[in-house]
Amino acid sequence: MEILKVENLSFAFPGALQPVLHDVSFRMEAGDFLALIGATGSGKSTLMRLLKRELAPIGSMQGCVYYNGVAQQELLERVSACEIGYVMQRPEQQIVTDKVWHELAFGLENLGLPQSVIRRRVAEMASYFGISDWFERDVSELSGGQKQLLNLAAVMVMQPKILLLDEPTSQLDPIAAADFLNTVSKLNREMGVGVILIEHRLESVLPMADRVLVLEDGTLQLDLPPAQACERLRSHPVLLDAMPGAVRLFHAVNGAGDCPITVREGRRLLREHFGNDVRSLPEATASRSDETVLEFKNVYFRYGREYPDVLKGLNLQVRKGEIFCFLGSNGSGKSTLLKLCAGLCRPYSGSIRIFGKKIQQFRGQSLYRDCVALLPQDPQTVFLKSTVRDELHEVHADPSALPYSLVHLMERHPYDLSGGEQQLVALAKVLASRPQILLLDEPTKGVDSHAQTAVLEVLQRLKAEGITILLVTHDVEFAARCADRCALFFRGEIVSEDAPARFFDENSFYTTSANRICRGWYEGVATVENAAELCRRNGGAR
Amino acid sequence: MSALDNVNPIAAFLWLMMVAGIAMFCFNPAILAISLLGALLFFISRNPDARPSAHLPYLLLFALSVLINPLFNHNGATVLFVLNDNPVTLEAIYYGAAMGGMVLAVLYWFRSFQQIMTSDKLLYVFGSALPKLTLILSIALRYIPLLRKQTRRVRDAQKALGLFREENLLDRLRGELRIFSVLVSWALENGIITADSMCARGYGIGRRTRFALFRFQLREGLMCLGCLLLGGCTIAAIACGALACSFYPRYALPSPNALGCAAYASYTILALFPALLEVEERIRWKSLKLKI
Repeated sequence: MEILKVENLSFAFPGALQPVLHDVSFRMEAGDFLALIGATGSGKSTLMRLLKRELAPIGSMQGCVYYNGVAQQELLERVSACEIGYVMQRPEQQIVTDKVWHELAFGLENLGLPQSVIRRRVAEMASYFGISDWFERDVSELSGGQKQLLNLAAVMVMQPKILLLDEPTSQLDPIAAADFLNTVSKLNREMGVGVILIEHRLESVLPMADRVLVLEDGTLQLDLPPAQACERLRSHPVLLDAMPGAVRLFHAVNGAGDCPITVREGRRLLREHFGNDVRSLPEATASRSDETVLEFKNVYFRYGREYPDVLKGLNLQVRKGEIFCFLGSNGSGKSTLLKLCAGLCRPYSGSIRIFGKKIQQFRGQSLYRDCVALLPQDPQTVFLKSTVRDELHEVHADPSALPYSLVHLMERHPYDLSGGEQQLVALAKVLASRPQILLLDEPTKGVDSHAQTAVLEVLQRLKAEGITILLVTHDVEFAARCADRCALFFRGEIVSEDAPARFFDENSFYTTSANRICRGWYEGVATVENAAELCRRNGGAR
Repeated sequence: MSALDNVNPIAAFLWLMMVAGIAMFCFNPAILAISLLGALLFFISRNPDARPSAHLPYLLLFALSVLINPLFNHNGATVLFVLNDNPVTLEAIYYGAAMGGMVLAVLYWFRSFQQIMTSDKLLYVFGSALPKLTLILSIALRYIPLLRKQTRRVRDAQKALGLFREENLLDRLRGELRIFSVLVSWALENGIITADSMCARGYGIGRRTRFALFRFQLREGLMCLGCLLLGGCTIAAIACGALACSFYPRYALPSPNALGCAAYASYTILALFPALLEVEERIRWKSLKLKI
């Protein structure tokens, strides 16, 4: 049964010369799982919003959207609100009420359903989602992952037939994101709910999807099952960046035949087509400076006397001009470490030295003048003007001195920018104080993979200028590409620390997909580029 | 004594208002004594671990009331002694004690009230009359912790940017102003997302119903009825003057007529109501245990 049909849909924002969407058509059967991919600005979110009448942006729209054979404009309010569910990016801002149980009931209250029906549906959904343990809590006490699950549950109580998910996991850590996506997949399999999902974590999404829709500059380029879509992506370098490791490796070695998607398929490709006479690449001899710019000695920290230790006897030395990545789960103390470096918190024992000088000896603003700067996790905490130009002007930043260009963004409002652009503008503000040590807290959160490459290039250029970069991230792929050294944090301690090639080789779970593909066949592989290089050296098909 | 925490908030609210309200408007030493005893018993049994220091300010308040009234009020026939040419009378001391007793009783009722009626219970009680207000309050309550958290984040971010000077008062004021302006634009921008999320879930398509976790059952109905009857009886006695008592010129508490007797009995039951509820519950569990 056809549940959704989009016919020749075009859309332009008022006053815009170019349409955002151009002649998009596709069909969706009940219970289909569609992954919608495309670069930032390709019109994914606009398309998604147009599918839900209540959220459709203002502008000129041509073509038509049919739900269950009924044109969208003629749908009953009740049907449109209930049967098409929508979950957005930011978990925090979608929640309306203060209690978990009230949030679950909110949609049903709007429908004017009687108490007994609401009670039953809310109870059912809370049990299905495993929410019963935190059913009576305040929403402010929940973690980001729990909040996003609550948002999904609050939509599911209305018994939708289609779920529209607009990058629901971009603000979550990998564990919470996997949990969320598994729940979506379970709903799709067990309830037959149709799903359209915009995601940049394609590694776990592609194997779930029935079809992949590829949107480029507002036109629908591909509408194919995942394996076939991935095969055709060689001519779309921008989208290829976002693909799972196996797909990128396949294209990097100009593979033929079926395109692998999962790590398992990638491993098979490698073993069937490539030898392993050369097992590892020669180790890169990085010219390292011996100057220590930042040193932690036996640092202990906790947020209050009655709280547990967040950092437990931390020892750390960072050398000038290196990119140092910290990985680890939530609450392991990574972000706290950055706060200590930036002088926002003081350790209760141990010492921190910056350029050989104790951090307490930096008086007033001197720590932040030509020395240390911290880019916080949420770039929105940095912005306070209405255009990018004003933002930069405020801190006397010189846009021409930046290693990247912001000219095209100058007149835009910072909140209207995409995640990647926000990071770059915030970074420009931070760089205005000409720091020698740059502290970055999850610079790739909510940033699509193409923009991640842009951030990566900027970091590399800053490094070439002699700036030391400390970076906290959940994104192992990003760490593998940019770091000189990586460290794994666990419960306030650094449990392992090494150059990425060796670091990821010795971890078996906390590692990149390229490493997992090559494990046992090649050694010291961190990135897809490493793997492809080894494949080339070993020569083609056996 | 936690039996009252589990009853429907409307019943609990009605009882608390009745018992505290009568204490507030009936200036009768016997009623006040019953009320004070009930309030103290109720509070202490709910907070058996409360340190003596938690009660100290209240006792001081009572002592102050007993001492101060006779210093400023010189009515009354029984002069005890003369202080600075001013007579200190027994009646004025009585009056001060009654006054202090009333304040104490009402304060203790409200201390318990605060513990029982949490924000969601209050919302439920007032929401029955004003459903729109409930939703607005619920949204507002959600924004308070959200803004507090964001304030902390913004402050850290601005400080680590080197834009937040703390050297003198003017700089600090300017810094706070920056934080405030970031917060306002943040709240406005993100409010749009909340509004979208509300629309997406059908807000505004018709009459809303109101869902609450609490149920109103027969037990609560009986409780409310009991409260109204007992309270009504006492109020009727007050209105008829059956509980009237005079302090000046001479203290006199007339022996009560039939209505007065009924009022004393009703108010005693009302003040000891949670204790009775507790006893009833214990007996029920005991008998259940015996049956097992």
